[in-house]
Amino acid sequence: MNSQDAILPIAIPLAGAGVAMLLRGWPKAQRLWTFGILMASLAMCANLLNHVFSSGKPLVFQLGGWAAPFGISIVVDALSAIMIVMVQFVMLMGCIYALDAKDIAKRYSVFMPLFLTLTVGLTGVMLTGDTFNLFVFMELIVISAAALTAMSDDRSGTEAAFKYFYISQLATIFLLLANGLIYMSYGTLNMADLAIRIKTDALAGGPMPPMFTLAMVCFFATFMIKCAAFPFHFWQPDFHAAAPTAVSAMLSSVVVKSGVYGFIRMTTLLFEPFAPQLQQVLMLIGAIGVIYGGFSAFGTHHAKRMFAYSTLAQIGFMLMGIGWGGTLGIAAAIVFMVNHALIKSAMLMLSGYLASKAQIKSASFENIKGLGKYLPQSGVLFFIGSMALAGLPPLNGFVSKMMVFRAGIEAEQWAWLAAIGLASLLTLIYTMRAFQWVWFVPPAAGVKAKKDGDSLFAPTMLILACVVLGIWGESLVSIAMQASEWVQQPAAYIAAVNPAK
Amino acid sequence: MDIIISFAIAVLFATGIYQLLRRNVVRSALGLVIISNAINLFLLAIGAYDGTVQSYAKAIGVRSDALPLALILTAIVISMGGFAFTFAMLYIVMRRYKTADIDAITELKN
Repeated sequence: MNSQDAILPIAIPLAGAGVAMLLRGWPKAQRLWTFGILMASLAMCANLLNHVFSSGKPLVFQLGGWAAPFGISIVVDALSAIMIVMVQFVMLMGCIYALDAKDIAKRYSVFMPLFLTLTVGLTGVMLTGDTFNLFVFMELIVISAAALTAMSDDRSGTEAAFKYFYISQLATIFLLLANGLIYMSYGTLNMADLAIRIKTDALAGGPMPPMFTLAMVCFFATFMIKCAAFPFHFWQPDFHAAAPTAVSAMLSSVVVKSGVYGFIRMTTLLFEPFAPQLQQVLMLIGAIGVIYGGFSAFGTHHAKRMFAYSTLAQIGFMLMGIGWGGTLGIAAAIVFMVNHALIKSAMLMLSGYLASKAQIKSASFENIKGLGKYLPQSGVLFFIGSMALAGLPPLNGFVSKMMVFRAGIEAEQWAWLAAIGLASLLTLIYTMRAFQWVWFVPPAAGVKAKKDGDSLFAPTMLILACVVLGIWGESLVSIAMQASEWVQQPAAYIAAVNPAK
Repeated sequence: MDIIISFAIAVLFATGIYQLLRRNVVRSALGLVIISNAINLFLLAIGAYDGTVQSYAKAIGVRSDALPLALILTAIVISMGGFAFTFAMLYIVMRRYKTADIDAITELKN
């Protein structure tokens, strides 16, 4: 495999988006083209994953042939490879859901091209080895996601999109500031090069450059907003409830992962000497997120809002995993990220499916209460999904929660463990409450399911993936452990990107 | 020159943050524009911008570094698209609520 292949997961959807824009007069051709492009790019990602694990070293492509500290590097290491396969698989499922959805969004000719640029942004964030390039891809995610949300059926879609765009624009502006500060301190923006310089400086024991701490804080705050961690979560539930179903499923499952990925890179590569301090903060915001998210989800009256708050809690588990650190902690975070992406996108698609079957298109519990009587298949899927979300065996949620708890036991953090253990019970309560409201309460007079609605194919596939990863979780856990061992040794990453040093 | 630039950055940042916290949504979006310009000016200031010798050449003299200029150009282009989008959305939102007061735009909350 050539090193150029590393850029294909970015280049294929980007070129595809351009062609899809040209196909705007032929909606059917455009949808098929988008589907084909996502398939091709997923195949490429799987190929890269296979290559990286079999060759045992990261695949690096230097854009334009400029060697590492000067040019932009695209780095596929084990962590990035797992992440891009996750992103592109979930995006493909979202595209399949959108193909058969009855949303207004589908009538806009830019819907599919924006879906592809969202994929480009997410993949780019996971693959890039340059902090300024990270900023560019973050901005691409933000603008595509906001435009996709604005196409909602909901009247307040534009308002939600504005709210999201405003907050995220602020976050990316501060990422730009962080880039400026880091360039001022070390004169480089290449992650591998930065890691070497920061480590040498920290080992020398002298004072760090004056702007260094501010840069670290800016990076940290940006990633917190991106993954909607506790104090910066306020925009997320509004935004997710108003977006079209195919989009909200993507936002709550893969877009928030860009922030979690950023935290893994921060604590294991960029700011490795300062990891203990960062991990303390991550543990704190993670634990608050788990508890606060659980209680907030309990207090909602809208299915999509409930799952948006539940994302806050689940992100908290991932941050706890990163906060505990070590091989097991990071591996737990990786497994949790993959499993959560599958479960959460399936659950949001099921909520959207219910909304599309209801008389008024809304997923509020008032509106969908008792509707389940007419829709038994989706009830089975919802039940399996909520079991997975709550972390009951034999589903994939159990594997991921088990790994987080094992990481906690290994780190001997008993107080934190007790807190999040109790809070994770809340998941079971609120998902079961929703299940009961929709499938067990007899429908009110006049409540009937509409004949036409969205298709159940994509959520079925995702739930199937959840079951498969629950029963044969071994494969995912073992590659996550390997990936975690890789990121524990940043020297290999640095040597692959920057062989001169 | 250094003093003037750092003073300008400080004033722009302060104005931006003040506008950002206003209740009027248009003013608060303008605050975002001002902050982004303050950061662009900061990026200009971190590069050696008044030198005559390229930073990669092995020559003696006042160095100049072109990289922050490239960063600024990229940031300007991206933020221009972003702000056009922001104000377009703001136009739609304000036409619906017929007000620019952030406290009146509350339909999403429940």
